[in-house]
Amino acid sequence: MFDLIKRYPWLPSLEEYYSDISSKDPLEFIHEVFKSDKVGFLKKRILSIFNAAFENIELIQDYAADNLNIYLYIILRILLYVLDNKSISNRIANLYSKNTYNELNEDRDYNLFKIYQDLNLEVKYEEEPIIYKKRVIKDQEEIFKTKFKIFFIDYLKLASNLKDPYRKLVNNALFEGYVYVKPKNLNRLIQEYVRIKLLTQKKINLERLKELREQLFKNPEFKDLFNEIKNLWEKKKEDFEYALDTKYKRGKDMLKTFPPCIEEILSKAEEGQNLIHIERLYILWFLNALEYPEDEIINVFSKLPDFDREKTEYQVKYAIKKGYTPYSCKSLKSYNLCRAIEKNDELCLKGYYSKTKEKQQEIYHPLRYVDVMEYRNSRKLKNSKKNLEKQNEGS
Amino acid sequence: MKDLDYLKRLFKAYYKEKPSEIPIITDFEHREFGFIPWDTKILMNRHMSFINKDSLVKFLINNGPRHVYSSGALYLKPENQEMKSKEYYGCDFIIDIDVDHFYTPCKDDHDIWYCKECGNNGRGMPEKCPKCGKSKFKTLNWICKACLNLAKNEIIKLIYDFLLPDFGISIKDIKITFSGHRGYHLKIENEKLRTLSSDERREIVDYITGENLSFENFGLQRIGENIFGFSRETLGWSQKILRKIEEILRKPNPEIEIILSNKKRFNFSGKKIENFLNFKEDFLITIKNSHRNNWTLFGFNLNDWNKFLVPIVKEIGIEIDTPVTIDIHRLIRYPGSLHGQTGFKVQELLPDEIEVFNPLDELNEKLDPIVFESDKFITQKLEIIESNIPATEMKGETHGPYSQGEIIEVPHHIAVFLLCKGVAKTI
Repeated sequence: MFDLIKRYPWLPSLEEYYSDISSKDPLEFIHEVFKSDKVGFLKKRILSIFNAAFENIELIQDYAADNLNIYLYIILRILLYVLDNKSISNRIANLYSKNTYNELNEDRDYNLFKIYQDLNLEVKYEEEPIIYKKRVIKDQEEIFKTKFKIFFIDYLKLASNLKDPYRKLVNNALFEGYVYVKPKNLNRLIQEYVRIKLLTQKKINLERLKELREQLFKNPEFKDLFNEIKNLWEKKKEDFEYALDTKYKRGKDMLKTFPPCIEEILSKAEEGQNLIHIERLYILWFLNALEYPEDEIINVFSKLPDFDREKTEYQVKYAIKKGYTPYSCKSLKSYNLCRAIEKNDELCLKGYYSKTKEKQQEIYHPLRYVDVMEYRNSRKLKNSKKNLEKQNEGS
Repeated sequence: MKDLDYLKRLFKAYYKEKPSEIPIITDFEHREFGFIPWDTKILMNRHMSFINKDSLVKFLINNGPRHVYSSGALYLKPENQEMKSKEYYGCDFIIDIDVDHFYTPCKDDHDIWYCKECGNNGRGMPEKCPKCGKSKFKTLNWICKACLNLAKNEIIKLIYDFLLPDFGISIKDIKITFSGHRGYHLKIENEKLRTLSSDERREIVDYITGENLSFENFGLQRIGENIFGFSRETLGWSQKILRKIEEILRKPNPEIEIILSNKKRFNFSGKKIENFLNFKEDFLITIKNSHRNNWTLFGFNLNDWNKFLVPIVKEIGIEIDTPVTIDIHRLIRYPGSLHGQTGFKVQELLPDEIEVFNPLDELNEKLDPIVFESDKFITQKLEIIESNIPATEMKGETHGPYSQGEIIEVPHHIAVFLLCKGVAKTI
């Protein structure tokens, strides 16, 4: 079990097997840990996690199942607690849990079974795999078999947060109280458990949080680490926080925020011109990424000469289900769909100036274009409101 | 008020004479109780609790309430007025099957509706008024053996098609009660089930009703010109659907034709039905063979298959009153208490007793919910005060139908029933 805890320090057994840590005062723990980390491995590994999370990397490069990994997990939780920043916590929780998922998928059945048991999940292991689902397409048989089954109540407790249709109990193989599930799918549920665990921490008031920070900052290594993460975030946060709510809202005119490539395709579609396959995919994925409702996406295609509602509905549903992201600017250029030069679009061609980074940033993705335009429009609106208020005050 | 006082006295007398009919449910002192009195102004007195059965019985004898309820939920402080301060710690898993919530053909004979908007009236269970299109109705719902049997069959289906085989629920954890009117309640008392949240309960509801089932997930898809369907080896709903399809396909062609053309169910055109029947034998072989699932059929596209499968799912799924199951703070009728709309007892039943249970003509005295049964020679005189009262079949006899103003002489239990329904008055 010790080895498992080193690899998966979020396991409930941590408290039992490492009772010396759990019984310790957090300040004392931090002091001892940093004192023993003379070479700075721990700090390096923690920073690499934050770096990866801020850079959208989905893997913890130097993840190792050692004693340090246990300390790392605990300090990570303390850091998230005192950072008290939802965006950071979400990013770390996503990365850490995804990494956990990958680790679990690499693990042996025996270990997985022990992990499920440690999580107090009623999971049964069959020596021989059981076929629980089969698809036959032409002469090809796709057989789903597993050695694991989980009690339906435990399944519900893990899965009811995840809204994918295929995870719903009604769409699963349920027999005699157990849901038959491949370890990979079960591990995805554990990933969610780990994510929630990292996000759920006891709430304290701001005063108490300030006090706790001050106490922890008495340890210079911890304070340095905290500040380094803060600085890292300050540099990167623009990329995440800058993006406004660029999701579809009924009645909201989003056309003004669309890049010229999309404008062109939309206008062709509106005029009833034929769209090539790649244009259709691009517009579909683009609108879907902005969470346009299904019916509105279908309407975009409704004037095309070969419009078939049934086929379109099927394709739109499929794209929504798959959640494909639209092509990047680089791909659009290679498909000859980029219209930046033709339309002489300043934002596409020159990019935008980032105040935080103090340099010009290029537009690398059409969704980024929408974000920037949304931001600019909101600034314009704010300024015009301010001017109006000033005028009113003056009069 | 005179008749309400009379009914109240009758109910009090029942509780005084038959305290043994009031069982003590598990975790009794942790349940919230609610009562609806005969006073028409008061909706419900809730947030009450009792330390033991004696104190509850004493309350019932003193007050003779119209309806008695207790919570499925368990609280440390059930008597606290605020839900938050009751200190909830779990809830039994409850399923309510009530013909009020689904269509039964017999409703066209015995349920009467009056449109509150235009005054139109009729029989059955319309969604909208056929005259003005509004859906505000005053209804007079009756009971008959047919609709109670439908509700009973749903409970039996629920237990033997879902709870035991799929959920692995132990039969000893299942408690059933006849509601005293038009349905049944099923309660599962199981420590782990008690921990489920509303969202998690909804997942079970979806499974039991077939709601949010994805045909695509079970293999239904179009690839090129071909359509592929489900496999018999897929556990869960896929097998249930295939069994049901097989059951339909084994019927003679004229019967299948009637089923598939039914406007309320499949609503297929003659041409589609003809195509389907031509394919019937092949299809039967396909669904029985685990290595084949090509469902390509001339003139049947993916939409047609969806249209075919939806009513099948509806038929397999159980007609339950969803909010009862997902609402963890809901109160349900207390077993052994009397139903103020009928005068019938809320009768507890064991799963093996339900198959032969007949609430309107029960031969087993211990299970008989009609507690005010009298010798047919002891009668009461009443005046009917509502129009178009349907016939009532009870204890092997039929009484009615009646018209407004009619003076009738009926056995005591029929009189109590009509008074409770509010369609007659004593004279």
